[in-house]
Amino acid sequence: MATLSLQNVQKSYGGLQVLHGIDVELEDGGFLVLLGPSGCGKSTLLNLIAGLDDISAGDIRIDGRSVVELAPKDRNIAMVFQSYALYPTMTVERNIGFGLEMRGINGIERSAAVKKAADLLQISHLLDRRPANLSGGQRQRVAMGRAIVRNPDLFLFDEPLSNLDAKLRAEMRTEIKRLHGRLGTSVVYVTHDQIEAMTLGTKVAVMKGGYIQQFADPQTIYEKPANMFVAGFIGSPPMNFVTGTLTSDGRLARFEAPGVRVEAPMSSGEIFRAKAAVLGIRPEELKIADVTGSMLTGTIDVIEPTGPDTIVTVRVGDQAVVARLPSRFSSKAGDGVYLRAELAGLSLFDAVTEMRIQL
Amino acid sequence: MAATRRSRRMAADILTYFVLVSMSLFCIGPIAWMFLTSLKLEADIVTQTMQYIPNRITFQNYVAIWTQSSFPVLIGNSFIVTLITVIVCLATGTLAAYAFSRYTFKGRNTLMLGYLVVRMFPAVMMIIPLYVVLRSVGLIDSRIGLALAYTSFLLPLFVWMLKGFFDAAPKELESAARIDGSTRFGAMLWIVIPLARNGLVASSIFVAIAAWNEFLFALMLTTGQGSRTWPVGLQLMVGEFQLPWGVLAAGGILSILPVMLMFALVQRVMVQGLTAGAIKG
Ligand SMILES: Nc1ncnc2c1ncn2[C@@H]1O[C@H](COP(=O)(O)OP(=O)(O)OP(=O)(O)O)[C@@H](O)[C@H]1O
Ligand SMILES: [Mg+2]
Repeated sequence: MATLSLQNVQKSYGGLQVLHGIDVELEDGGFLVLLGPSGCGKSTLLNLIAGLDDISAGDIRIDGRSVVELAPKDRNIAMVFQSYALYPTMTVERNIGFGLEMRGINGIERSAAVKKAADLLQISHLLDRRPANLSGGQRQRVAMGRAIVRNPDLFLFDEPLSNLDAKLRAEMRTEIKRLHGRLGTSVVYVTHDQIEAMTLGTKVAVMKGGYIQQFADPQTIYEKPANMFVAGFIGSPPMNFVTGTLTSDGRLARFEAPGVRVEAPMSSGEIFRAKAAVLGIRPEELKIADVTGSMLTGTIDVIEPTGPDTIVTVRVGDQAVVARLPSRFSSKAGDGVYLRAELAGLSLFDAVTEMRIQL
Repeated sequence: MAATRRSRRMAADILTYFVLVSMSLFCIGPIAWMFLTSLKLEADIVTQTMQYIPNRITFQNYVAIWTQSSFPVLIGNSFIVTLITVIVCLATGTLAAYAFSRYTFKGRNTLMLGYLVVRMFPAVMMIIPLYVVLRSVGLIDSRIGLALAYTSFLLPLFVWMLKGFFDAAPKELESAARIDGSTRFGAMLWIVIPLARNGLVASSIFVAIAAWNEFLFALMLTTGQGSRTWPVGLQLMVGEFQLPWGVLAAGGILSILPVMLMFALVQRVMVQGLTAGAIKG
């Protein structure tokens, strides 16, 4: 168990800067998720923490101690790779015990530790096999076994579930959450799956192009995205963006677009004069309203029942808005509809900078 | 319709086999002829009418070349030179290939290209400078000197081949080993080399065969019995001692036996070696 602190971490390959000053703090026993699209530098950051690659500038501290000068083996970390990286020439037992073997732990102690880890992951019956003779889910468990057997200060996971099918992925996600609760070891977890990020993380860092876009707990990331990238990246179906104008007198703000009118009290006291802005509304925040309480007025374009709820696409002015509504939904395409949402569930962004506007 | 397609396919097959078989015969012919000659009595070799299949078979020629000439010494020298070449290539080439495969450093590509350029020039061009260099360090007419000369043009081949095999070994395995407690060198030794084992064997055998068969360098860089290898020795026997043809043929057959063995091995290993890297995690 340990804290992790990344301070202005930078990485360049030749002239190409891949990470631009990453700052992250993870509490003891925390679960940090690095979330972002492909190529944003997640794996690079993980490799820097592991010491597999050299940092270009900045500092990495585990439990307050700078580790940038230490070799990977001296950082007391364990890592699970996307490809699992099991040693193909060794049995499962030796794969799991290899780290202990390298550290000179004797055979009896080693088998006991391997057995304990294997029991925890329910792979005791596979110990004599080779990785080639295991299913994807079993390999994944062996890879986890190899990580937990050493009792490291920090677990690093690089997209550990991305090679599994949807059902197994959900199962292993729960398993990882259970393991984390049980072992209490701090985790850094890379993924581009927002569900994994939301369900597992105590802290989420959303990355793009080598920058951290937002670093907060999952709830804040979801409810108060710092910019339109974060807002659009998290959530499925994604957040609706409605472009319009923002006007305020310092106490009351009003957002307007064809078919849209939202008023909200504000505390910042800022004055806006028909500023170009974007209103962000999550589909699940939208509800059917009557004329008096409505924020959006439009006509129904498409209705897609999914079982538990119904995804409805509504034309509002010349923009499309998607709403996730209850399954007992009686209207049909072409009908007029009024929609509203709680003010707390709305986000406003500057149309030019795409940054969140705090009212 | 189907019938004509089938008959056309058959014609193509027949043509393919005809070309392949005739080419194989063309290549194997001289070796087969040498083998038959080595089994003949001297009187049956130079005759009025050509005798293809020997009437009388004898192993006398094999006994003669082994007991009545310097052939065992030649084979011994060849063996030692080949062994030194392979060991030097293994010791230095493995590390070089690993570095080329895993590290990015200044001048890496230039260096790799340089390795290739060495092989661009014909051996005759290299031989005079090599001669001068070896003479000035006193390694002319020595087995180590000859092995070093071989290394100079076989090492690049070895490194390039092995680099391909190292490239095929997943990098994440090494990363895992380094986190598990290995040093970089340990990860190479315990993880990468076992994975690239077949490639290592194949590359070594290629080097060994090339060193075993080499003629020109051996001719120029050795002068005495002490370091002369079999290709040169055998060639010299033709002129020097007026050895009977049957005995020479026996010497030739004995000399290429190890090569045939190694080829059989390399063929098996190459097939495995090329697919071994594909196994993931
Ligand atoms: N060794 C390298 N040399 C040069 N550029 C590199 C190297 N490794 C990574 N990069 C670049 O750094 C950027 C980030 O790569 P990284 O692997 O960290 O992305 P990622 O966020 O893990 O993406 P993915 O989700 O696809 O795994 C990419 O643009 C990549 O091309
Ligand atoms: Mg990655």
